[in-house]
Amino acid sequence: MYPEDLKYTKSHEWAKIEGNKAKIGITYYAQEQLNDIVYVELPEVGTTINKGEPFGVVESVKSSSDVYMPLSGKVVAVNDMVVDQPELLNEDPYQNWLIEIELENPDEANELMDAEEYTKFVEEEEKNH
Amino acid sequence: MKYTALHDVHEKMGAKMTEFAGYHMPLWYTKIREEHMAVRQAVGIFDVSHMGDLIIEGPDATDFLSFALPTDVSKKKIMQASYSAFVNHRGVMIDDTIVTRLEENRYLVVPNAATADIIYHWLYSLSAGYKVEVKNVSNKFSSIAVQGPKAEEVLQSMVDVDISKDKVPFFHATMGNMDEIKIEHNELSGDLLYISRTGYTGEDGFELIFPNSNAIAIWNKLLEEGKDYGLKPCGLASRDSLRLEKGLLLSGQDFDPHHEPRTPVETGVSWIISWDHEFLGKEIMENMKKEKKYELFRGIILKGRGIPRHGDKIYVGKEQVGYLTSGTLSPVLNVGIGLGYIKRPYIKVGTEVEVEVRGKRIKAEVRKPRLV
Repeated sequence: MYPEDLKYTKSHEWAKIEGNKAKIGITYYAQEQLNDIVYVELPEVGTTINKGEPFGVVESVKSSSDVYMPLSGKVVAVNDMVVDQPELLNEDPYQNWLIEIELENPDEANELMDAEEYTKFVEEEEKNH
Repeated sequence: MKYTALHDVHEKMGAKMTEFAGYHMPLWYTKIREEHMAVRQAVGIFDVSHMGDLIIEGPDATDFLSFALPTDVSKKKIMQASYSAFVNHRGVMIDDTIVTRLEENRYLVVPNAATADIIYHWLYSLSAGYKVEVKNVSNKFSSIAVQGPKAEEVLQSMVDVDISKDKVPFFHATMGNMDEIKIEHNELSGDLLYISRTGYTGEDGFELIFPNSNAIAIWNKLLEEGKDYGLKPCGLASRDSLRLEKGLLLSGQDFDPHHEPRTPVETGVSWIISWDHEFLGKEIMENMKKEKKYELFRGIILKGRGIPRHGDKIYVGKEQVGYLTSGTLSPVLNVGIGLGYIKRPYIKVGTEVEVEVRGKRIKAEVRKPRLV
């Protein structure tokens, strides 16, 4: 459920780091908590956003949820396919990334969780619900 | 936290649970839109045991309730149900409710979960001077809503009483035996299952009330009988999107005595008022109706992308003309819809407005609250 090659945040985003770029998406747990995802709003290419700041919104019938930058960077691509078909995030939250960024400070990646740590974190979250 | 008699069944079925009005309730079982469409096209069942159950009885019960409600219950037939509202001395809605005349001077009142105790105490204090007893039997009874165009077929296969529309029209109730399930003796319906053709989805359907001990057997029987009809168990999320599409008020959100004080005139349900009898808050409602200055509960349909939510503001040009108290994506229309209060003259159906959704203005159109 949580691929080994990704880094994770406590707000349930993932980052796939490749060189000085990273693709960003939401985790299996995030899409499950939201249920039917019906709306996605993403930033414009060229926007620079800091780690921990919201870069978009993912909404289900029931609720809306901000998505936060796992790492600081400039948006170099947005996945228009998930804007047109938000349900793709339910079907495969890892294939269907949200944005791609150019990293501003690659060292920030050290602050993110790996798959094992994130799995534990989610287990704790579920216990509390 | 409070639990319904079906709580463990929901968890075993893998429902996503949430706290609602102090109860641990199912939010969904599978997908919200799947559950929503099952109710629109086939049939869905909801555990609504968190709703209250009050019995009002005694020689003055009819006079008392006719004073407490804008509805003149003395005009209702036995086993006829009415949608109505409890209002305070200022005409402000405390809760909406379904009241059913069980006997000449005996009534079932079903308040919302969060307000059941409030309404019980409210009625108790109002009843001073009337020969009437107000009983809160909420904790003894469970309730399942069977909703959708196939609801009658599914339920009819389980009960011995004729529940066709001729015998049990919309907003009427009956009682009957179930083939295999013996209903525990109870003060609402004796040894029978209480069956009311009412609901909160805008579809045809029924609300069943019975003692807690019968809950699991009835739930399982419905799942089994409904299999061939596409029946789905449904959670609170689809219950909300279903009522929202039909413009049905949500107590505590679309109106609330503290946060959103509104009279039945403003909430768009003045059709519940029988003006030719005396009732609490009448003068205030009469004046409102006469002056015609009040804001009115309306629906809006977005013309652009986005999902409006509670609290979003409605504009015409620079002027704020209203705000939303509820909003969602309509699974049927596949566009953002909302319900809220709009001031005159913008309440006119078809008025072009803008809704500010997450800081962005989106074009929308004013409609009557019933959007689907």
